[in-house]
Amino acid sequence: MSDVKEITPINLMLFGIIGGLVGIYLSPYFPTAGALGAICAVIWSAEAVRRVAKYGLGTGVPSIGQIAMGMGIIAAMFGLAMVKSMPLAGPILALITASIIGFIIGWFAQHVIKMKIPVMIRCMTEIAAAGALIIIGFSASVAGNYDFVGSLIPKVFDNGVILAVFWVGAVAMLHPFNACLGPDEKQKRLLYLAGSTGAITMALMGIAAVMTLGASGSITLLLGIVLWLIFYKKFWDEVYNDAAAVVGTGLIPKTEA
Amino acid sequence: MVFLDPTTIIDILLIGLSGTLICLAVHFIPVGGAPAAMAQATGIGTGTVELAAGSGLVGLITSSYMYAYEPSASVALVMAAGAMGSAIMLASTMLAGGFIYAYGVAVPFASAQVKKDPITGERQDIYVSKGTQGQGIPTICFVSGVVGAALGGAGGGLIYFVLMGYYSPLITTHAAAVAGVFTMGVFYVNSVIPSYGVGGTIEGVHDPKFKRVVPKDVFTSAVVSMLCGIVAILIAGGMTA
Repeated sequence: MSDVKEITPINLMLFGIIGGLVGIYLSPYFPTAGALGAICAVIWSAEAVRRVAKYGLGTGVPSIGQIAMGMGIIAAMFGLAMVKSMPLAGPILALITASIIGFIIGWFAQHVIKMKIPVMIRCMTEIAAAGALIIIGFSASVAGNYDFVGSLIPKVFDNGVILAVFWVGAVAMLHPFNACLGPDEKQKRLLYLAGSTGAITMALMGIAAVMTLGASGSITLLLGIVLWLIFYKKFWDEVYNDAAAVVGTGLIPKTEA
Repeated sequence: MVFLDPTTIIDILLIGLSGTLICLAVHFIPVGGAPAAMAQATGIGTGTVELAAGSGLVGLITSSYMYAYEPSASVALVMAAGAMGSAIMLASTMLAGGFIYAYGVAVPFASAQVKKDPITGERQDIYVSKGTQGQGIPTICFVSGVVGAALGGAGGGLIYFVLMGYYSPLITTHAAAVAGVFTMGVFYVNSVIPSYGVGGTIEGVHDPKFKRVVPKDVFTSAVVSMLCGIVAILIAGGMTA
């Protein structure tokens, strides 16, 4: 369609998985890293939502963000809770579980409900996996690490921050395509918007982190606001670039007699 | 393994059943989507997921309240509390929506899917405006919606009850939050699956689409929810110190 070179899905997937996992594994030493990792996963998931929602789901783009978070939260809880003896395996187990749940739901959507979307299974797997990383990443930035029973339950579940992680994370994932969809939708613009929704989620998690972790949470808050301004400015510039290409058709020529 | 224990298997089946109830509930609710928001289709003017989840989460709140303040509450009581909460939530949504359709948009309530309302027996087709799929929320849709919301709330209450039985001996005071969040996850999965099945809009139990899509959606939901049930019970295994 367009001659603009797009980033391939596989590269974004690697970016999301590696960035997300590195951020989560660094979160016990530097909680803000969890949120940065989650932003990588948000950018990946926005691309996956873009690919599947392009076909028209019939129910609106928000539904796919919500199912992603529903699958992600189940898998995240499972992955983190199951590995008591070796906690390092938790996030990876969550990622694998989410992929399996996503694959099964995608398979059913494609072959039982018969949605006839060729990329359904692959994208469902990807958004479920990304959903799990988003939830673990943002939760870890609030709790200070990703230990389920010791930290996440008292610091994220009990005080209800998990609801904010769930909802704001879902919006961060679904909003970019929901806002950009249409004939002139471009990947670059969408990814910048995904970065900005991820960053504003990070800023909100920073507010929660100030409550749970004290002063070190303010780094998450301030960095989130700075990243949001940067990404939003980039998105703004892209909108202006693309808008000129659409609107600049010139005046309607006068008919000559 | 713990899986071979009959109570565990029954609990997994119960979680599967509750997911199926939520899935079934979505088909009863008159979801109009964007066309209904412009009064060009019968039903409530928002998406399946929003309606099912909105009413279902209220049901979750009422059932958890029942569980928290009546320690000896039976499963039937918790489910009934959830059903009441959801049904009241959806009925008030439809009532408020109905006022807006009647006095704000000024459309007669009519269903395009049936010739006569199965409950009141009123003719529908002569009131459907040309080029639309019906307008507003007729009696059959309202009743179907209330029944659907009650099913969804009962399903949410059932998952919560089963999970609390597993989690509260292990993590005592934290169990409500974990069980609630897990229930919410199962709720979203089970409200989106049928919304893909119905393709965005459905009028309720009288819609011809209902018979066509219910079997495959229910089958999908049952399998997926049982998977969630297995995961939920394995999580409990990971909580033991």
